[in-house]
Amino acid sequence: MTAPSTTDLTGIEDGWTQRYGHWILLVIGVVALQVAFGWVEGFPALLDHTFSDPIDDFGRWQQSNRKSHWLFTGLFTPLSTGVGWALDTVESFLLWLPWFILPLAVFLAVARSKSLRLAIVAGLAMVYPGLVGLWEVTIDTLALMTIAVFFSILIGVPLGIWGALRPRAEKVMRPALDAMQTVPAPVYFLPMLMLFGIGRVPATFATVIYALPPVVRLTTLGIREVAGQAVEASEMFGATKRQTMLKVQLPMALPTIMTGVTQTIMMALGIVVLATLLGAGGLGQEIMETLSLRRTGRGIATGLAVVAIAMVLDRIGRAAVVTDRASLPTRRTAFIAVGGLVGLTIVGFATGVTEFPEIWETDIFDPIDNVVVWVRDNLSWLTRGFNDIVVGEFYVPVRDLLTETVAWPVLMFIGGWMGWRIGGRGLAIFTMSMMTAIGLIGMWALSLDTLTQVVAAVLMSVAIAVPLGIWAGRNRRVEAFLGPILDALQTIPSLVYIIPAVIFFTVGVIPGIIASVLYAVVPGIRITALGIREVPEESIEASQVFGATPRQTMFGVRVPLAAPTIMAGINQVIMMVLAMVIISGLVGGGALGFETVSAVKRSDLGKGIEVGFAIVAIAMILDRTTQAIADRLRPPPALH
Amino acid sequence: MAIEQTEDAAPTTASLSAVGVFKVFGPKPDKALQMAAAGEPRDEILRATGNTVAVRDVSFEVTPGETFVVMGLSGSGKSTLVRCIARLTDVTRGRVTINDRDLTAMDDQELREVRRKQMSMVFQHFGLFPHRRVIDNVAYGLEIQGVPREERHKKALEVLDVVGLDGWGDHYPQQLSGGMQQRVGLGRALAVEPEVLFFDEPFSALDPLIRREMQDELLRLQADMHRTIMFITHDFDEAIKLGDRIAIMKDGEFDQIGTALELLANPATDYVREFTEDVSRIKVLTAWHVMRPHAGEAIGPRVGVNQSIDEILVVLLGAEDAVGVEDLSGELVGVVDREAVIGVLDTES
Repeated sequence: MTAPSTTDLTGIEDGWTQRYGHWILLVIGVVALQVAFGWVEGFPALLDHTFSDPIDDFGRWQQSNRKSHWLFTGLFTPLSTGVGWALDTVESFLLWLPWFILPLAVFLAVARSKSLRLAIVAGLAMVYPGLVGLWEVTIDTLALMTIAVFFSILIGVPLGIWGALRPRAEKVMRPALDAMQTVPAPVYFLPMLMLFGIGRVPATFATVIYALPPVVRLTTLGIREVAGQAVEASEMFGATKRQTMLKVQLPMALPTIMTGVTQTIMMALGIVVLATLLGAGGLGQEIMETLSLRRTGRGIATGLAVVAIAMVLDRIGRAAVVTDRASLPTRRTAFIAVGGLVGLTIVGFATGVTEFPEIWETDIFDPIDNVVVWVRDNLSWLTRGFNDIVVGEFYVPVRDLLTETVAWPVLMFIGGWMGWRIGGRGLAIFTMSMMTAIGLIGMWALSLDTLTQVVAAVLMSVAIAVPLGIWAGRNRRVEAFLGPILDALQTIPSLVYIIPAVIFFTVGVIPGIIASVLYAVVPGIRITALGIREVPEESIEASQVFGATPRQTMFGVRVPLAAPTIMAGINQVIMMVLAMVIISGLVGGGALGFETVSAVKRSDLGKGIEVGFAIVAIAMILDRTTQAIADRLRPPPALH
Repeated sequence: MAIEQTEDAAPTTASLSAVGVFKVFGPKPDKALQMAAAGEPRDEILRATGNTVAVRDVSFEVTPGETFVVMGLSGSGKSTLVRCIARLTDVTRGRVTINDRDLTAMDDQELREVRRKQMSMVFQHFGLFPHRRVIDNVAYGLEIQGVPREERHKKALEVLDVVGLDGWGDHYPQQLSGGMQQRVGLGRALAVEPEVLFFDEPFSALDPLIRREMQDELLRLQADMHRTIMFITHDFDEAIKLGDRIAIMKDGEFDQIGTALELLANPATDYVREFTEDVSRIKVLTAWHVMRPHAGEAIGPRVGVNQSIDEILVVLLGAEDAVGVEDLSGELVGVVDREAVIGVLDTES
């Protein structure tokens, strides 16, 4: 994967045996193991039922004891009822309000930052779902979001404070948060199903868990960042710890905490579509339906509603972060604004204008369907060709090679060898034990299938993202041009752009790969551009002073200095592709993704958790490997 | 101009003392303390125990109303020392007392009580609260004490006037220049009427002109309020200008404690001499350093208390054997004789 560096070879340089010794070891090991174990069929799934059976037993137990056991009657059922009530209340309140109140409230909340243009755009964005006839489903989703984000803050901020005050607590929380962000979201779904059954409540909790890490992290960070002297000054006035926290640390950390909340909102929105698998309803349900009906236009109309909500919440979040207190409106202005809203509500009821007027339906976007059909019928030479190359020349041969020809001990050996070369003995042991675990629970072949698809998507993403990122990093105009496109790719639910892909390529691995690439190039481009731009101007100038050509400066200075950051971008690409495995499963990608979806649909807990573990294991191996590569690319730390 | 005293206010100044203060950072403080007490050098202790001895056997006494300056270069331990004295960090060994009460032995509750009523600190990077208006920054200490909003704002307005920030109360600190921000820091410290004030290199983040302006400001305020001050600096000129007495700190220890004149006339170590050598005595010493009490005789021309010897020289050349010294309010506070000035000129090499 990387060129092994010779710098870590201690001792005297002893010719080619030292330099190529580990390569020779690899070749000999592979040949020997293949000869010895070539006849072995698949990994012995010795523990196939060891973990899944007890989980299934527990699942059955909870189903029959749901009404009697104290764990449910005393804890989960009341919790479920409470959250369900909150969801209903928020939703019916929002629906009860005359429709124009919500857009106005959005406008006012954003106008707080004194940016009229942003406020108008946000207000109009809130009107959009109503215009295309999606008002009620949008409110449904908005209610779920509101409750989920509320809980995320309620849990996340105290956890973050705790982490900031107690380094030991943070040490425990950090890996847990890392895991929460690595684990593909649907894996949470199963335990939620187990505890809360199906419906909006488990969807809410799954969303909370998924979206929690940014608030916790940024609360901790924000409090840590508060200047030590400000805290000391407070102490010197004899403030108690509580006074210092409430009067100095929390207020000073607020902008950072709000950034965390905004990120949490975005993550919550990202999962809202998938939460449909748990029966969340709302916009996600709508999008799932358009996917099965192959209605691109309607899918886009619905996807835009999700984008609109994302934009509205993002703008409100950003307005709330505004710290330039001097320019904020006074309490009186805010009072008048709220009073005005109440007044308008009364006016709305008095005049009978409460329901959103029916203007258009989602089918105003239907002409798009005709375009898609035209492309399918007339550009089949292109889509067919692409399909044949990726599936015929790459996916099928590689998958068959890995699952049928090469014996599993060989793959274990290669995995271990790569871990050793890249990250040393620790990584080698980690990789091999994760691979063993995957094999033992009977997920070997499915995992290799998924891995092949992941590798295909990652290669394509990197081939697009790195050159584009370098270009954007050097050219502001390119970056400005790409900005909104990348934003859209990240906020439009991927199921929406999967619809035309399904129509072009029919169901199979390709739509999943395309969706993964579109989703994953975004951080790849962004982080690469950041890395290129962060290269100190002085290093560039030093290179130029020596008369380097732009090309020499690029590949001699810029790219090497940006390499660790670019590698971090590639790491993100891999994580995003893995997060999309489940989406691929929905459109015929098979492998682990399909197994997850079917496990969730059939409430097959044991199987689902095994599949989830396999996905997490793959994610952790790839995550640690790419991070190890990034570490090696980093220049040695300064002495002091 | 002076800060008004409320009737029930404690005495405005306090004495401060430190006896045998050690501060050791690292894993094995006991072993390091032993070695430090035995006089082993810092590097040796670090090598043997992995501990850094930041402050080693420091003792001093500050009398009520005195300005005590600790001068040292970076790494000398001066910031750690003031943190130990203010108990922002605990001493490893030794005793710190304020008005003969042992600060090092107090529990959190007692310490908070002392901090609320008796001491205050001004920080190098100001340590202001960017989310509070200037007036609420200044009123912070009173807020912590539970003083009602109206009362503390009234007090804060008075203090703002004293530190020359009249009319800036509704701004946020980051909207002010560096010098003005440190005026806020000073005002915040003065608002609680502390008996002891700690200054941790308060002016070193400011540019030279503003720094001089702030030094003059502090002298002016101190002439009125006579607080007990412990002032940390790395600037020898600043130490001479502000300090009644000066301690020169090196490698965690005091090399010498004395008045500016004593340091200049008899540097105790080569290290102290290095600082005093390059100093132009007639420029840094002022009337205040060389004056004697006024014995009631008739006095002709007058000079200001902060005027330097070279300025006084001009006045003396023009006339008499002696000039009168007046403070900022124009009151006669002392006399500088021709002999005293010649004494300074003699030491100038």
